[in-house]
Amino acid sequence: MKRMSALLMATALVTVMAGCGNDNDNNGAASPNASGGSASPASTESASPAAEKKDVKIKIFNFKVEIADKFNQLAEQYEKETGVQVEIETHGGGEDYNALLKAEIASGSEPEIFNSEGFAALEPYYDRATDLSGEAWAKDVVPAAAAPATVDGKLLGMPMNIEGYGIIYNKDLFAQAGITELPKTLTQLKDAVAKLEAAGITPFSTTNEWWSIGHHTINVGLAEQPDPVEFIEDTKTGAASFKGNSVYENWINYVDLVFGHSQKDKLTTDYATQVSLFATGKAAMIQQGNWIQGDIDKVAKLNLGMLPIPLDDSGKSHIYTGPANFWIVNSKSKYPEEAKAFLNWLATSETGKTYLTKEFKFIPALVTIPATADDIGQLGAAVSEQAKDAGGWHWGRYPDGVIQGWGAAMQEYQGGSIDKDKLFEKFDQAIKDIVQ
Amino acid sequence: MSLRKKTGEWIRQSVFVGPGLIAFSIIVLVPFLLGFYYSFTEWNGLDLNKAKWIGMDNLNRIFANDEKFWASLAFTLKFTAVTVLITNGLAFVLGLALSRALKTRNFLRTVFFLPNVIGGILLGYIWQFIFTKGFKTIGEFTGWPLFELPWLGTPGTGFWGLVIVFVWQSAGYMMVIYIAAIVGVPKDLSEAAVIDGASYWQTVRKVTIPLIMPAVTVCLFLTTSNAFKMFDLNLSLTKGGPGTSTQSLAYNIYAEALVNNRYGLGTAKAMIFFVLVSLIAITQVWLTKRKEVEA
Repeated sequence: MKRMSALLMATALVTVMAGCGNDNDNNGAASPNASGGSASPASTESASPAAEKKDVKIKIFNFKVEIADKFNQLAEQYEKETGVQVEIETHGGGEDYNALLKAEIASGSEPEIFNSEGFAALEPYYDRATDLSGEAWAKDVVPAAAAPATVDGKLLGMPMNIEGYGIIYNKDLFAQAGITELPKTLTQLKDAVAKLEAAGITPFSTTNEWWSIGHHTINVGLAEQPDPVEFIEDTKTGAASFKGNSVYENWINYVDLVFGHSQKDKLTTDYATQVSLFATGKAAMIQQGNWIQGDIDKVAKLNLGMLPIPLDDSGKSHIYTGPANFWIVNSKSKYPEEAKAFLNWLATSETGKTYLTKEFKFIPALVTIPATADDIGQLGAAVSEQAKDAGGWHWGRYPDGVIQGWGAAMQEYQGGSIDKDKLFEKFDQAIKDIVQ
Repeated sequence: MSLRKKTGEWIRQSVFVGPGLIAFSIIVLVPFLLGFYYSFTEWNGLDLNKAKWIGMDNLNRIFANDEKFWASLAFTLKFTAVTVLITNGLAFVLGLALSRALKTRNFLRTVFFLPNVIGGILLGYIWQFIFTKGFKTIGEFTGWPLFELPWLGTPGTGFWGLVIVFVWQSAGYMMVIYIAAIVGVPKDLSEAAVIDGASYWQTVRKVTIPLIMPAVTVCLFLTTSNAFKMFDLNLSLTKGGPGTSTQSLAYNIYAEALVNNRYGLGTAKAMIFFVLVSLIAITQVWLTKRKEVEA
């Protein structure tokens, strides 16, 4: 019996260790299926036969687990073409990427390229982030994607991709309700809602999730201010307020429309349920972003489109895009110039572009990279199409805690325990609570 | 001679008490003292050297304008009062019932104790599913208004949702303590009462309850402090929502320190919390101790 358990213990230990071992292999540059390379589009390969092997190795600290394997393949390609070795270390998913990155840098190892979010999250790395505004691709970055990493006119990182949200609608249900013209103004949206209800279809699938009805919805009003940045800075000092702001007076009408014409149990609907309601065709519209494509595809193949969010009848409505993450070139590393060259290659070479869209399934943050619905999904294509004049994601301009306060206030408004005036007061209060 | 004896004593003490004391110091004492220091600073919880001494500012801020802190204190007090009553009432009744000669006694004891074995976080998620999906389905089938409420979606249902799960989780544990005490009541006393013509409830009231007062003290103390410190259930079941209407004091402190990144203010709140918990615990133990009698 005793021996048995010892054996079990030993097996368990070996398994654990083997698990760690595998992990390291994956993180290393040499992934076994990369050498075959038959699937990868290697048209450029023959043009530049295996370049001289330089004694240069750049290290990328990658946070996106989903692309780890493909990224390793891409690194192989790059080494074949230029002779520069690229080592990719992936930490993400369940791991705390930001803490690991801090630990890595604190231990004296400076990766050439690492990931970071923009705005406040980037601040600790200002002294490391190299100015990339001079790079060939910099002028092609979608403006909304560049903003979070733009400091004093300098572009401090290359946006990985963009994500966008708006009103996603089910084309078939719209047709069923007899909506022929897509709503562009709030009045038209109200008409569409009335038509859907007349056809017995729930117009909106909404949620009580604080981030969705919170900063996603509130951001619509921020981005529609004549000068969003100025408005945000003024709300911090108290010079401007949500209460009495003309944009927000319109914005609340849109919010009321969504809350008033959504499924019955919206107060207890979490994100997953919200998406599944929409995916199963029980509601015709949902205010979410292209990230729900995967979850919808698991349930059904729907005919989808994305509408801009109208706050009034001016016809000037937008979807809202922002970058998920940035590639930062570390100026304190050994080969920052090689790192720049790699990013340049990623953004301009055919191989790099194809990987970004077809393999990584990213919505490109550069206007020069084409992407089709087949590559990045219907919603991705819709975002990509409207990205040029989309509004930005501005909530990152507020310190931590503000958006949580907003989310709580929106939940109370949704539940009917506070009215419009109190809601705006709470928005202002949430900023005051943290900033003062 | 006496010096040697003294050193010997010291060595013995440190061998036996030392390891425990060291662990206690590192895990409880030192963090507590550090927390005491940080509650007078403005600090984001990242770099130790960036903690700025601001004296009483944190406390002033809490007492002068922190509505949410006081709202969560009110919520916690209400929650504690309700759950302590229900939990102990239920646990005592269960204890009485399951200390009688029932065939399914051991099975039932296990059943009622089981929820206590599952951790609070997990319980919260399980019950969140029951409230939002299970209750909804029952409501659709039966049409009973109780199940058609938007459970956890309004401040009222959020509060009672927490109460239900908390009672369900802790009643089993208290039941075990009550059973142990009830079984320990000397048989001759209750037999004598019965012979004197006392009914069952009279025996319970006049004999059993006075004799199990030590257990009542323990149970009241445990439920009060557990309810007052409730955090994991709050985090997984309602996240303090809708809005901040079901935010317990512990959750408010957590959010201040780790969501708002204001560690200094958070620890200042934690210190107030510590004082409150100690006060409640001491008064309550002192009150019930006086009621204990010996057989």
